[in-house]
Amino acid sequence: MVDTGAASLTASEKAGLDKAGSDRIGVTRAWVPWAWSGFLIAMLAFLVLYPTSMLLIGALTTTNPVVEGYSLADISIGNFLAVVMNPNVAAALGNALIACAGGTAVAVAIGLAFAWVVVRTNTPCKGLIASAGMLPLFVPPLVAGVAWSILGSPKTGLLNLLLNKAGIPFRFDLYSMPGIIFVFGIYYAPYVYMFTAAALRNMDPALEEAAEISGASATRTMATVTFPLIMPAILSGMLLSFVVMLGIYGIPAVLGAPANISVLTTYIFALTAWSPPRYNTAAAVAVILMIVTGVLVYLQQKIVSGRSYTTVAGKAFRPRPLNLGKWRFLTLGLAILYLFVVVVLPTIALFIAAFRKFLFIKDIPALFEAKQYGWQHFIKMFDNPLTIASIINSIKVGIITAIVGGLLSFAIGYTITRTRAPGRRMIDVITTIPVAIPGLVIGVAYLWAWIGLPGGLYGTLWILALAFVARFIPDTVKALSTSLLQIHRELEEAAWICGRGTLSTIASIVLPLARPGVVAAMTLLFILSMRELGSSLFLYSSGTMVMAVQLLGYYEGGNIGITAAFSLVQMVLLGVLISFTNWLSRPGRGSGAIKPDIAPTGVVRSG
Amino acid sequence: MSSELRVEQLRKVFTTTTAQGSALKAAVDDVSFTIAAGEIVVLLGPSGCGKTTTLRCVAGLEHPTSGKIVIGGTVYTDPQAGVLVPPRNRNLGMVFQSYAVWPHMTVRQNVAYPLKSRGVKGAAQDNAVRDALDLVELSAYADRPVTQLSGGQMQRVALARSMVYQPQILLLDEPLSNLDAQLRLRLRDDLRRIIKRVGLTALYVTHDQTEAVVLGDRLGVMRDGKLLQLDTPSAIYNSPADLFVAGFTGATNVIEGRLVSRDGAFGVVAVASGEHVMARMGHDIAPGTPVRVALRPDNVALNPAGEGRNRFLGGVTSRHYQGTQTVYQVSVLGTAIEALEVGSAARYDENSQVTVGLPAEACWVYPADR
Repeated sequence: MVDTGAASLTASEKAGLDKAGSDRIGVTRAWVPWAWSGFLIAMLAFLVLYPTSMLLIGALTTTNPVVEGYSLADISIGNFLAVVMNPNVAAALGNALIACAGGTAVAVAIGLAFAWVVVRTNTPCKGLIASAGMLPLFVPPLVAGVAWSILGSPKTGLLNLLLNKAGIPFRFDLYSMPGIIFVFGIYYAPYVYMFTAAALRNMDPALEEAAEISGASATRTMATVTFPLIMPAILSGMLLSFVVMLGIYGIPAVLGAPANISVLTTYIFALTAWSPPRYNTAAAVAVILMIVTGVLVYLQQKIVSGRSYTTVAGKAFRPRPLNLGKWRFLTLGLAILYLFVVVVLPTIALFIAAFRKFLFIKDIPALFEAKQYGWQHFIKMFDNPLTIASIINSIKVGIITAIVGGLLSFAIGYTITRTRAPGRRMIDVITTIPVAIPGLVIGVAYLWAWIGLPGGLYGTLWILALAFVARFIPDTVKALSTSLLQIHRELEEAAWICGRGTLSTIASIVLPLARPGVVAAMTLLFILSMRELGSSLFLYSSGTMVMAVQLLGYYEGGNIGITAAFSLVQMVLLGVLISFTNWLSRPGRGSGAIKPDIAPTGVVRSG
Repeated sequence: MSSELRVEQLRKVFTTTTAQGSALKAAVDDVSFTIAAGEIVVLLGPSGCGKTTTLRCVAGLEHPTSGKIVIGGTVYTDPQAGVLVPPRNRNLGMVFQSYAVWPHMTVRQNVAYPLKSRGVKGAAQDNAVRDALDLVELSAYADRPVTQLSGGQMQRVALARSMVYQPQILLLDEPLSNLDAQLRLRLRDDLRRIIKRVGLTALYVTHDQTEAVVLGDRLGVMRDGKLLQLDTPSAIYNSPADLFVAGFTGATNVIEGRLVSRDGAFGVVAVASGEHVMARMGHDIAPGTPVRVALRPDNVALNPAGEGRNRFLGGVTSRHYQGTQTVYQVSVLGTAIEALEVGSAARYDENSQVTVGLPAEACWVYPADR
């Protein structure tokens, strides 16, 4: 038991496989760790490398994988460049960059102001404001898009009806670039908030006090000390929200389509929906999306891992909150306004649309006529067998994703953090690749990987689940690694000394201690896969319809009542699941076990 | 440039919210003292005693409930009169426990920052920065980012930054507590030398007695928001005002008894065993009152030479050899006390009989009810 890496896996071999056949104690079989690493790499190759390679091949060739199968015959960079030069692609790329840049600017303005109000001022009820401010993170983008189209469509939007009744000539038009930017901005402000609030909170207040003592005014202190110090956090939050917006399908699909504004994501889906489908072009555009995302994620990681300005503070003097005097009611008012716009208004819109027979509202009293309201949309929705089928399918996919993803993430996390298995650096690197791949691109890659193989995965629930596992594996592995790193190595070593093998130690020591983390990671996988739209778009079939795609179907079918009703059903389902996760990770549960802290961070990348 | 600091009846009351409801707690309770221009005063006490809050009130970072802070004849804080000058207009220097050097600036930028706030430009700025860096011996590091410096160097940057504009008063909030032990010793001596060379008035806060004794012209011992004693180090060590100060200076042996009689500076105390101990009286205590006698272990003499008063028979109950000194548990006067003997040879075995000598001038009598 000198080499723990070899020993650990030898022990697992002993404990698990041929205990009876082992005649000598302590035999070290060198091939076992190699076999284990090989197995993990093979799994990752199957989940991540193979589909990505197929996507690249698709982008470089012109053969239709459905009709002609895969062929490398005409592989050429020219095919890819031809797509890049296409003016439609350029327009989609341009629109995507404008929408995301605009949305990021709005998100930074709101998120930064929110962080300052919550961390640094004496605004009343700021704890409540802070937690309510995270709610937009949990709203699926498609639902947000639907809600805002109900509110702000130029002709029938509820807000415009109100303006009309009030005799105000102004009209909102959410079906526009400013509309997309606005909705992006308000929904992704919490990302910027999370980063900057943490930076403000972790900053040693003495840094600002020293500036005050040095004779600097409040504004000068903010400009020369506070801002430069939280700049990395602001940049990081900016890049992250930009990347997430870039990969979102739901919002631009709902708000952009009526105005003929296509962004990269909607353009990719449109390509596969053409007849015949342009799979090669879709792959090429997906590669463009992947490259842009990859560069931005790389920059973000560089900033995060770069020089950290959070200095070692001595005694923790809580930052003295700024006394705003009566202005604190203004900041409270602004925070409430934000929450009203981002949470209350869309919810009201969904409720009205879901329960009202007709969305047309004559005047204000008509809004409150009880006989206008009823369950008719819900009844109609559940009359459609696809509704229930999609819910059941989503739950099935969620369960498969949670189990497969949870097990694989635990195996990878354990191998990376606790063993000296060969190739574990490589495993670590491959695991992080999907961070830079938007969900939609994963969808296209999986489509390319399996659509040409007869009798394969394509068209089953498994392909959805595997795509989700690949998409979310960086998050779950990271969360589990954090959990595992908190378990002191000596706890494990003590079990080895007591005569346990590796598998037995994992089962009796590591798993029980990491259990809350593992359970939370699996629940999170379940939630994320329930709401995932981007990758599902390319992988569902008539028999494997899932909730998110079915919602899009209802929306595109034009029945706004049923769409709103189904949105509410999904929100309630997600709400129950998220409360359950919070309950699982609540403090004081499970004695001595490591507390997970992944619920908000996990949703971060998924949009 | 260096000014007198006067703190008058400073009080700072916090509202603490507990399960039983909210209660008022005085973090600083009626503290008054004066620091002469050019003098270094150290406030000493356990954490939570109010020393840092006092310092932060002087800085203007904390607002007291009542009281007055007067610097160089000008009132800077007087909440009753509505006077609360913000920190930036007080012209004070402050060194923080966490250094608080700005990590996004170089050494030079850090030190020049307060000068820029004051509109000092060009050659005047350069000269001031150079002088300050010379003073802390960091001239060679002027253009390094501060993040490349060691903890001790960062603290010296903080010191240069706080002195570069020749403030009226220098405030130091446990400036050495984040450094490792060896560095702390060196910087401790440097600090006093530098402050004295510039001739600054300084208020220094620490929980470390040795640091306080070496650095301060006078020490103030605080506890529960109250300033118990403010005096020169030798006065604090040789005539602590009360039992807490005595304990803080290391007088950990406490013998209970009752005052029998008093004769000038000394009194006679009857202890549990009935024996009489002669001890020094700092307080006005009536005979018959229960008292406590405190003394430091190093003042307990085992088998002292010659004849003398205050000699008692005792037994060694345990021995802790510590290399250069030995600590004995001695049972004497019906109680157990500690005795410390310097030297690498331990002279007494466990269970041996010894004569215990308690020098009367090192035994201090305090009322038992405090």
